[in-house]
Amino acid sequence: MDSNPQSKTGNGEFFEARQAKSEIDPLPVRKVVKIAWRAIRIRIWRSLLVVSGIILAIAFLTYILCSDGLARHVLDRGSQQLVQQLTKDGLLDVENAANQRVQTYWMVGLALLISFVGIVNAMLMSVTERFREIGTMKCLGALDGFVLKLFLFESVFEGAVGTTLGLLIGLLLGYLEGLSLYGGEAWRLLPAGEFGTMLAGCFAAGLVLTVLGALYPAHQAARMTPVMALRSEV
Amino acid sequence: MENENRKANLTPPPEDVLATYVVRAIAVRRTYHMGGEAVHALNGVDFTVHRGEYISIMGPSGSGKTTLFNMIGGLDKPSEGRVYIDEVDIAALNTVELAWLRCHKIGYIFQTFNLIPVATALDNVMLPMTFAGMQQAEAQDKAVDLLKKVGLGERILHKPLEMSGGQQQRVACARALANSPAILLADEPTANLDRHTGEQIIDLLKELNETEGVSVITATHDHKMLAVSDRIAWVRDGKIERFQDRGEIEIKEGSMQAR
Repeated sequence: MDSNPQSKTGNGEFFEARQAKSEIDPLPVRKVVKIAWRAIRIRIWRSLLVVSGIILAIAFLTYILCSDGLARHVLDRGSQQLVQQLTKDGLLDVENAANQRVQTYWMVGLALLISFVGIVNAMLMSVTERFREIGTMKCLGALDGFVLKLFLFESVFEGAVGTTLGLLIGLLLGYLEGLSLYGGEAWRLLPAGEFGTMLAGCFAAGLVLTVLGALYPAHQAARMTPVMALRSEV
Repeated sequence: MENENRKANLTPPPEDVLATYVVRAIAVRRTYHMGGEAVHALNGVDFTVHRGEYISIMGPSGSGKTTLFNMIGGLDKPSEGRVYIDEVDIAALNTVELAWLRCHKIGYIFQTFNLIPVATALDNVMLPMTFAGMQQAEAQDKAVDLLKKVGLGERILHKPLEMSGGQQQRVACARALANSPAILLADEPTANLDRHTGEQIIDLLKELNETEGVSVITATHDHKMLAVSDRIAWVRDGKIERFQDRGEIEIKEGSMQAR
């Protein structure tokens, strides 16, 4: 760069950079992750609001799958007297079980859909409120891609936290229900492999839902212009 | 989002032009189309800023002052005419190149400070360096240095939450200098500060202008800014009404009396 005659006026490097710039974002992913994590910590309560829908929906999903799985296994593999006892008590309705299950899954689907809409809404609100912050970052040199990644990573964190909380709540509810309905032995009937798959599935569902919900708001954020930093309102 | 892979074609300008002007606006017009009507925010503006100059843009609301400010700050493109920042035609730049320009050539200072309230002053100043791809250690040293220059050497680990308005604006000034830009662009920097603090910030900007050699362009209502400016551009109705050199200005405070 010293051999460039224009470098002393400071513009030589601009032309060099433009020619050399191979559109590689100089910002490494872990820096984006760090900034995203910090952004969440700043607005921890707002983040919890965004994920409250996910927490509830995943809790519901987990609970339903738990209690359903438990009921099935008790039916299939529980001791004869346990099943008889439970049927007599009216807690295990063998005939209507199939109908019930379809209804329940419809409800779960609806719950997930509602929470998805809630996430999109809450995130859009968050993006709108942060217009000045986004505008400022663009003034400081952030690319559209950076803003997109930032919001997507934030949603990943929120999704992970929310889904974990939802899982724990759902498991707790399912466990307590199982305990009260079938007694302690019922839980030993649930095979660990299936249980593990179920948990992984719920976790994936929560994460996917959150990130999908964040796509549109993140896109809106990335589209904001730097001039927004100067605005006094959106 | 635009295709970020297009490269524009540019030849480097003659060196004497490069050395003299940091901003050149030629026959700039900006028209907004709102509900079928055309609003002419700028009606043919010719404007130059010399390297190292301190220039204030003054004018009433709706005069086009903000639009002009946005033009020369790389925040907007003209409908007609050309704007050269460091002899680069901003209309020829795509989003990635514009972002590069904003990162490296222009430092922004806002009326509302626009700092990250829960990150330390050091982190705030280091942020533009991160976007410029500077290494952590080098960025940290430079940030400490800058904070000392603005008089906040004792507060590098404090957060804006814990600082007064004047101190926050100082951090903002340090941040604006992060990538050693050619221009400091200050939008109403003293509007949210009391009189005394505002004067301190104006003095700081003048000091930076002199010691760092950076050109300062402010859009302002503040008459205290007049005394330190090399030149003033008065904007009215989308045109520059007149330029004034500092020597030509007489500042009188008006008064109102009851009849």
